[in-house]
Amino acid sequence: MNKYLSIFKISFQEEFVYKLNFVMWRVRNIFQILLIFFLWSAVFTDSQTVIFGYDKAKILTYVFGIMIVRALVMSARTSDMASDIARGNLSNYLVKPFSYFKFWFSRDISSKALNLIFAAGEFAILYLILVPPFYFQTNPLTLLWFLVGIVLAIFIYFFILILVSSITFWLPELSWGGHFLITMVIVEALSGALFPINILPLTLQSIVMATPFPYLIYFPVQIYLGNISGQALLGGMIMAFAWAGILWLIANIVWQKGLRSYESIGR
Amino acid sequence: MMFKKYLKIWWIMSRNSFVMVMTQRVSFFTFLLGKIIRFSFFFIFLFFILQGAKTLAGYGANEIIFFFLTFNFIDIVSQFLFREVYRFQPMVVSGDFDFVMAKPISPLFRVLMGGADVVDLITIPPLLVALVYFGSLLHPSVIESVLYVALVLNGLLIATAFHIIILSLAIISTEIDHMVIIYRDITSLGRFPVDIYKQPLQAFLTYIIPIGVMVTVPAKIMMGVVGLWGVVSAFIVGIVSIFVALKFWNFALTKYTSASS
Repeated sequence: MNKYLSIFKISFQEEFVYKLNFVMWRVRNIFQILLIFFLWSAVFTDSQTVIFGYDKAKILTYVFGIMIVRALVMSARTSDMASDIARGNLSNYLVKPFSYFKFWFSRDISSKALNLIFAAGEFAILYLILVPPFYFQTNPLTLLWFLVGIVLAIFIYFFILILVSSITFWLPELSWGGHFLITMVIVEALSGALFPINILPLTLQSIVMATPFPYLIYFPVQIYLGNISGQALLGGMIMAFAWAGILWLIANIVWQKGLRSYESIGR
Repeated sequence: MMFKKYLKIWWIMSRNSFVMVMTQRVSFFTFLLGKIIRFSFFFIFLFFILQGAKTLAGYGANEIIFFFLTFNFIDIVSQFLFREVYRFQPMVVSGDFDFVMAKPISPLFRVLMGGADVVDLITIPPLLVALVYFGSLLHPSVIESVLYVALVLNGLLIATAFHIIILSLAIISTEIDHMVIIYRDITSLGRFPVDIYKQPLQAFLTYIIPIGVMVTVPAKIMMGVVGLWGVVSAFIVGIVSIFVALKFWNFALTKYTSASS
């Protein structure tokens, strides 16, 4: 346990090597949030308007919720695994006395901790500047389910990143391309980071909800907003839990197969 | 004569860049697919939003789609032309920029336009067709259409100025390795008319980082809502931007230390 704590601490300090770089990275998030915030503000010019089941307060809470949930779920370093495999650097880790998955998970947690601190600061600043109507969830049970949803989302995202990185075992030139297509395009859109999934027609919604992606952002934020409760909440939790399990299983199988194909190119 | 020489060099550099991309076909198709899917997702999102809201900041569905397409056209053409900018920072850090400086062509030309992107080139024709289609739905006059083309070119001039400033910043501060990505995040605010943003952000996007002039003004001219002064000031902003960017580039060059070489 101590060695993973050390990895966590080292990774945390590493982020501060290029401070300006990190700050600018966070500035990117602010612009992304501003775009979605003002877009939805333009849609809900009247605070009484209800579209897609959202009023202005709830949709803007959704936008602000994305900021925090994204920092917790999608701040991760595991995508760098792909370049380790492509460049043969993986060999250095395989001979070390620790689990390679736990190594990256520790790094992910450190990234999440740091990004959460900054996201909370940005949240406070943007909240004071934009003064949006905000929906505060006060039910402790709902907040507990929200946290459970976040934990499941963290695991789902971690296993997705392992799977996408594993493509590099067979296609080394896709170390970046795979993450671009799946992580940056497909996951980004279908997770609910761009728009709430329930603005889509019911058939499309059902298809998207059957994938693991909406359980990354959309589902936890919906729990916070109180839009999901009772059987729907339980059903969603079972789906999220099942996806975490299935992806864990597939990631392990694919990783073992990948290791057999691994040729340590570049070493 | 000079233009012909640089056109030939650009052609050779672009051909080499295309050949390099085509050696990794899986990667090429992955990026192409990714770009198409990303565009489609945003388009679907826009479609459903407009179904629910009907109008956005007073603009109808076709108008909002036209803003979105104009943004994408300027964004994709600049990515096609200036993809090399994404590779410049490692060149400065490693000192390889020395080799560019030693060659008998403008180093700015080499690092700005030395690696045209075939993936973006492929996406330009269908985008142009969509622009013509949705543009025709706005029923512009001939003068408005001509001015639209001129203002889009002016928008590309501003985009060029931004890319030159990014190159200059890469020389001055080697600490930031993704300035161009930050630029793209800021310009992505131009996907929609700047009218949707509140002050002072709207003023920031109009006067400080003129995304409004780059994207919103060209699209607005097709809707007949830009006056003569708006058009003239857009061209002034374009010329001033490129002038400032070139001055900044010359200043940045004096700060190049040739480290690591």
